[in-house]
Amino acid sequence: MEIVTEQRGAVTVISIVGSVDGMTAAALVGSFRAQVTGGNVLIVGDFAGVEYTSSAGLRALLETVKETRQQGGDLRLAGVQPEVLRVLELSGFTHILKLFPDIESAVASFPA
Amino acid sequence: MNVGGSGEKGAPRVAVVLGSGSVKCAAALGLLKVLRREGIGIDMIVGCSGGSIYAALIALGHDVDSAEAMTRRLWTKELTSRRNHKSLFSVFLPRLFGFDESFGMVDDALILQRLRATFGGRTLEEARIPLYLTATDFHTGEQVVFESGPIVDAIRASIAIPYIFRPWPVNGRMLVDGFMSDPMPVGVAIRQGANIIVTMGFESPYQHKINSPLRFAFQLSSITSNNLLKSNYAFYNLAHHAEILPILPEFKDRIHLFDTDKIPYVIEEGERAAERQVPYLRRLLAGA
Repeated sequence: MEIVTEQRGAVTVISIVGSVDGMTAAALVGSFRAQVTGGNVLIVGDFAGVEYTSSAGLRALLETVKETRQQGGDLRLAGVQPEVLRVLELSGFTHILKLFPDIESAVASFPA
Repeated sequence: MNVGGSGEKGAPRVAVVLGSGSVKCAAALGLLKVLRREGIGIDMIVGCSGGSIYAALIALGHDVDSAEAMTRRLWTKELTSRRNHKSLFSVFLPRLFGFDESFGMVDDALILQRLRATFGGRTLEEARIPLYLTATDFHTGEQVVFESGPIVDAIRASIAIPYIFRPWPVNGRMLVDGFMSDPMPVGVAIRQGANIIVTMGFESPYQHKINSPLRFAFQLSSITSNNLLKSNYAFYNLAHHAEILPILPEFKDRIHLFDTDKIPYVIEEGERAAERQVPYLRRLLAGA
């Protein structure tokens, strides 16, 4: 899994390529947490390059969503691929996460 | 490398969980093909509703071809062709015909006969792979897990589709379809100590047209069970450390309750969906 972080104004975009699963979730949580600890709580997870997520991936997402929201921010997902979307739907995550078709619309969804 | 199902100390325990989904559950045979081809063993199998039939066949050691042939003989449209007239009359004249908990619109003699022809007197204890089949207690709503006893009884209870087949009495309890308590019983595998849970389950289809009381009832049942599937699945994913790998076959065509002619296609899609998970499954087994 590759993780690239980019700042777009007040919003931090974390682009992930690969699978978010039991082997990689800890690294992703680490990246998210580093941002939250640094005060960057408006986060877009760019999932356009994520081909798969397992239960460990879901736990990583939930942990980050909780941490960002506790500090007045949010984790929003962009470009979720069909395979991952089915897992998010099956687990009810589409009810608690905000999903956007691309990075631009996800970034724009945060108040300027 | 520690391979699941090896039984070696420290090796991960791999569970296969097959949820409800009638004919779509045949996709489990596609999953079985892939696991066997990759040499990945199974430490336990859990089955519910339609998935209970495939779970039992796999656990008893049938290969894909024989399991497919057996289910095509077992599951045909004729199963619902004979009405249970007493039950139907009891809906309109409950006192006269004695409406009670044994309500079911279809005469279940044929399904019983076919289950007996398929599984005979075999028991869950005889399965080569530890087998757990689930049903639901009609009176309490509790999940009931069969770990022993006749396979026919466990499957008959697990597929007691509400309104269609009457609840099935086992050991003094009236049991209905396993999907009523948990359409994809991952929790059973967690409880039995599985580390890696490969699961396959399907949402109940929604009715295209509501033109009969039965379709109305089915629609309500689908709404409830699909929401139950999602909430339970979310809970299992978040509340436990076990890694859960959902195998989600995609069907371009709508698969109806008795579309057994589509079983080869269903198996193919199951195989395709399972193949997508192999690299990760391999990594998990290697890293455990």
